[in-house]
Amino acid sequence: MDNPLFIIDPGLFIWSIIIFLLVLFILKRYAWTPLLNFIDEREKEISDSLAMAESAKADLEQVREESEKILNEAKNQSKSIVSDGKQRAEQSANTILNDAKQKSDEFVLDAKKKIDVEKKRAIKEIKEEVVDLSLDLASQVLQRNVKDEDNNKFVQSSLKEINTDEAKS
Amino acid sequence: MLIDKTDTSHSKDPAEVAIDHVANSYDHIILHLPSLGVFDFSITKHVFLLILVALITVSSMIFLVQNYISSKTKIPGKTMNFIEMIILYMRENVLKGFIGEKYYKDWDALVYTIFFFFLIGNFLGLIPIFDFLGFINYLAGGIPVVKDLIHGGNTVTANINLNFALATITFCAFTIAGIRRYGFFHHWKNLAPPGLAWPLYFIVVPIEVMAMLIRPISLTLRLAGNMMGGHLALIIFTQLFIIEIAKNYGIFAALGGSIFSVSLSIGVILLEIIVAFIQAYVFALLTAVYIGMGVNVDH
Repeated sequence: MDNPLFIIDPGLFIWSIIIFLLVLFILKRYAWTPLLNFIDEREKEISDSLAMAESAKADLEQVREESEKILNEAKNQSKSIVSDGKQRAEQSANTILNDAKQKSDEFVLDAKKKIDVEKKRAIKEIKEEVVDLSLDLASQVLQRNVKDEDNNKFVQSSLKEINTDEAKS
Repeated sequence: MLIDKTDTSHSKDPAEVAIDHVANSYDHIILHLPSLGVFDFSITKHVFLLILVALITVSSMIFLVQNYISSKTKIPGKTMNFIEMIILYMRENVLKGFIGEKYYKDWDALVYTIFFFFLIGNFLGLIPIFDFLGFINYLAGGIPVVKDLIHGGNTVTANINLNFALATITFCAFTIAGIRRYGFFHHWKNLAPPGLAWPLYFIVVPIEVMAMLIRPISLTLRLAGNMMGGHLALIIFTQLFIIEIAKNYGIFAALGGSIFSVSLSIGVILLEIIVAFIQAYVFALLTAVYIGMGVNVDH
């Protein structure tokens, strides 16, 4: 072929193969491998940090839930403490009131009993006085001394009368 | 091409001037080296350009990558960002897409190197450094080393020998990939799809073998044709067109014509920038596709 565009040139062919293979070897060793490793590392770094961000978000959510739970518990506890306190206060107030009532009742009952005893004693004393007086009066009316026997009989019957009267009343 | 005043053998035929702009020069060998049979290892202009492309590719890539990975901020610069974008795009769409997740790591370096090697080779051809050297040589009246450098085209990727060499590497790559995956005999058996009626194999096998052998040739011619075409268009618009007008209508008509030719050339150069990029990508893509075809026969 005379056309210079299509001259077969084995020298250039061999040069091309040798030089290209050299370029391939050098670039593979010093450019492509380090660059691709670098890119892979960076991609891994990016995906790792994305995963980390995701897990941090999940952690944050968990912490938020926990804190909410704790807050709710605290609220419930404080409520129960307050209601407990109230209940206890009411209880103690009731016991105090009941005690006071009981005591006052006892006091009144005691007073009543004492009054009764005193009353009975007073009545008894009055009765005795009345007997004495009536005996005096009767002896004066009869102008004579009734024998002791009669006297006693009389007294006893009069006392019975008084007692039955009292029982009736 | 500027005419070398010291070179009396220079042809004035416009067609030859145009072809001289894209073809290698065997009349002006830069460094004579011994031959080994048909292999003449002398440094011609395209061998020189090949070494230049290799040096630029290696030094720029290593500089950018090492600078990037050793930087504290780990933020890529504009150029590095662009390279990283290409590499990631090719990894996700070309390598993983055609070769597959399992095997792409064995071949990624080859595909990236092919792409950047051709990209830089194609772009170097677009920069008129040697035309500028020719201009200096013209002014100086002939400088010994420069004199040999300005002859021959400056687009090394338009040379079929270089392209065929790299296509051969691609051919070896997809053959090795197939053999590594299926074993030596099974790989060649894969050329004949199973389940056909036996007479059909007499037609299918030759077609498959031809298709396999044509792959490197098609890779070669596609790239060389694309790079040649653009440069021939450029030389025709910028130089031959003006020369012809000047010859026939005088220097002032040529000045008028240059306005037209320069604006047209700008368009062609813009197109060539895209072509330079696309052809580098196509070569790398097809390498990955062929390797994928060797590796994933069952799919």
